[in-house]
Amino acid sequence: MMSEIQKKVKVHVEKVNKSYGENHVLRDISLDIAENEVVVMIGPSGSGKSTFLRMLNQLETPDNGTIVVDGFDISEKATDINKVRENIGMVFQNFNLFNNYTVLENIMLAPVELGKLDKVAAEKKARELLKTVDLVDKADVSVNSLSGGQKQRIAIARALAMEPDVMLFDEPTSALDPEMVGDVLEVMKNLAESGMTMIIVTHEMGFAKQVADRVVFFEAGKIQESGVPEQVFNAPKNERLQEFLSKVMHA
Amino acid sequence: MKKIVKILIVGVLSLLAFLVTSNNVNAAQTPNYIITTDATYPPFDFQDKNNQYTGIDQEILKTIAKRQGFTYTLKPMSFNAATQSVSSGQADGVIAGMSITDERKAVFDFGTPYYRSGIGWAVKKGSNIKSLSDLKGQTVALKTGTSGADYALSVQKKYGFKVTYFNDSDTLYNDVINGNAQATFGDLPVIQYAVKNGTQLKVMNSKSPIQAGWYGFGVQKGKNAKLLAAFNRGFAEIKKDGTYDKIVAKYLGASATTFTGSKQDNSSVLGILKANNGAFLKGLWQTMLLTILAIILASVWGILLGVMGVSQNAILRSLSTTIIYIFRGLPLMVLAFFIYIGLPGVIGMKIPAFTAGLLTLVLNEGAYTAAFVRGGFAAVDRGQMEASRSLGLSYAKSMRKVIVPQGLKIMMPSFINQFIITLKDTSILSAIGILELTQTGSLIVSRNSQGFRVWAIVAVIYLIVITLLTWLSNWVEKRTRA
Repeated sequence: MMSEIQKKVKVHVEKVNKSYGENHVLRDISLDIAENEVVVMIGPSGSGKSTFLRMLNQLETPDNGTIVVDGFDISEKATDINKVRENIGMVFQNFNLFNNYTVLENIMLAPVELGKLDKVAAEKKARELLKTVDLVDKADVSVNSLSGGQKQRIAIARALAMEPDVMLFDEPTSALDPEMVGDVLEVMKNLAESGMTMIIVTHEMGFAKQVADRVVFFEAGKIQESGVPEQVFNAPKNERLQEFLSKVMHA
Repeated sequence: MKKIVKILIVGVLSLLAFLVTSNNVNAAQTPNYIITTDATYPPFDFQDKNNQYTGIDQEILKTIAKRQGFTYTLKPMSFNAATQSVSSGQADGVIAGMSITDERKAVFDFGTPYYRSGIGWAVKKGSNIKSLSDLKGQTVALKTGTSGADYALSVQKKYGFKVTYFNDSDTLYNDVINGNAQATFGDLPVIQYAVKNGTQLKVMNSKSPIQAGWYGFGVQKGKNAKLLAAFNRGFAEIKKDGTYDKIVAKYLGASATTFTGSKQDNSSVLGILKANNGAFLKGLWQTMLLTILAIILASVWGILLGVMGVSQNAILRSLSTTIIYIFRGLPLMVLAFFIYIGLPGVIGMKIPAFTAGLLTLVLNEGAYTAAFVRGGFAAVDRGQMEASRSLGLSYAKSMRKVIVPQGLKIMMPSFINQFIITLKDTSILSAIGILELTQTGSLIVSRNSQGFRVWAIVAVIYLIVITLLTWLSNWVEKRTRA
């Protein structure tokens, strides 16, 4: 929903390519994402959407092209990627909570280790975040005792503890039991409403319709179509998108 | 993390440097010679009931040193290690009932020949073997590196026997007595002394030694001329005033109990323990010291290598792989001999046996540790590293805060296992003459011939220590889990 007022560009991607051997997973991808924008990326498995997302904080490196996040060119070798990553939160499909720490310690680790907050302030912040994800009573338990849905909400709180300006979500609900999905999506929806810039890879079409400012359809390593949800879901122009939607909507 | 790794490397290196040099400093300050000897070669070299080294060689050396005004540190070890230590420059002189041969003259300078000996051969008491020709198809037990062994090999084809080798006389005699071998060749006075002390052997040529020759005190060829001259002066003196004859008579005319303790002491486990408690405690202390130092240093070194093995840097990774490959592949004893006997010749510096032994353990156990440390880190889910990096933590910080703690937990059982293996492996270092528990057992057996009882005692001591070590490790594991 790029309005007539020119919004600040948060993520700028230009002509990015990535191959694994013979497999060309991303082909000449270019995409700009504005501040406060919520972008949902859909597409069949292996279409390159997760690889694209992981490139935005350099968990994958592009073969060529330019990626600028928050004004930092992360495709440039001289850029201190650790500093840039402090401002990009990431939520993983498999949660990846630190098994050797309690819930509270998971949330506190990065702010304390990176000198953003002292221990007292970090704990206060962590408890506030636990309130927003509705898990205050779990502060001192081991992460292994949590359900999947609880783990994912803690993972979101952990990322938010660094006060990022961009949040990346890599299929955040794909590993959850169906009854857990709602709680996690609720947290994400609140986050979107608070104005967070979010880039989300998901198969939850209902959520995309409801929350996204823009939906981007990936297929065969390319962005085949993008636009506001009404257009992408109700009047898809691209043939492959039509095919994809007919499959996922009637599944 | 890099800083910690650096500190660890510096720490380990400086500790090793300290261990290498500390003994050197002593050697340089006083005119103190290092003399090696055979740990079990009665009546020339053996421990008496008070655990003091004695015998014909030892009394000659002691008397000469006193009169000529030099001091020495005695290093008892296997005959082979004793001679090689001198030829490689690790020690200054060797007195170990060593026959003077042309071959040895190429490597050693010998002092005045001090004892005329010859080769004898012996069989089990009551054996059917009457002459050398009866040895056809039989097995002959030999002590490695001795003239007896050389002679036996020279006639092996003629008489058609097989040979088997041993490093110490007592085990060798027992092999003949137990019937695994049928005969042995060795220095005549040595066999005679053993027989007189109750070894159930029969000497076949007591009146006619084969290849009669002389024993000599040896130094490295072209080195230590001063020591050699002092020995020769002193020897001429004791020969002249009759001290020499008294020494020889004392040993060849004495009965077993004079030196080895009473029969009563030797016939029960309690008696053996009482008679040797000092020796056992000393041996145990050396074993414990080696084990504890090796466990600490090998763990540090192993973790360092393991971290290198999962590093992002390909050079570090292959360096780690190569080091693990080499030191896991080398038998512990080969590594010990290489460091103790081989290396000093190359680096031109003496390495004390304890340091060489410790280094051997650290390199060997460290390589095994590194292998399971690398595996343990690799077993930590990849997502843990990604999550940590995505928050902005550096690789080193992620390793330290997230991967290492989880990896160590996975590795804990392997660590405990490796600690126990390290304790047991210290026994192999008896080969380079470290007087730890196993070597202590060998020495006591060589004196009292109570193999079964002594080795049972040694075995029980090892089991007790291993049990304690296991308890301690389990306790630590529980603590770290909580």
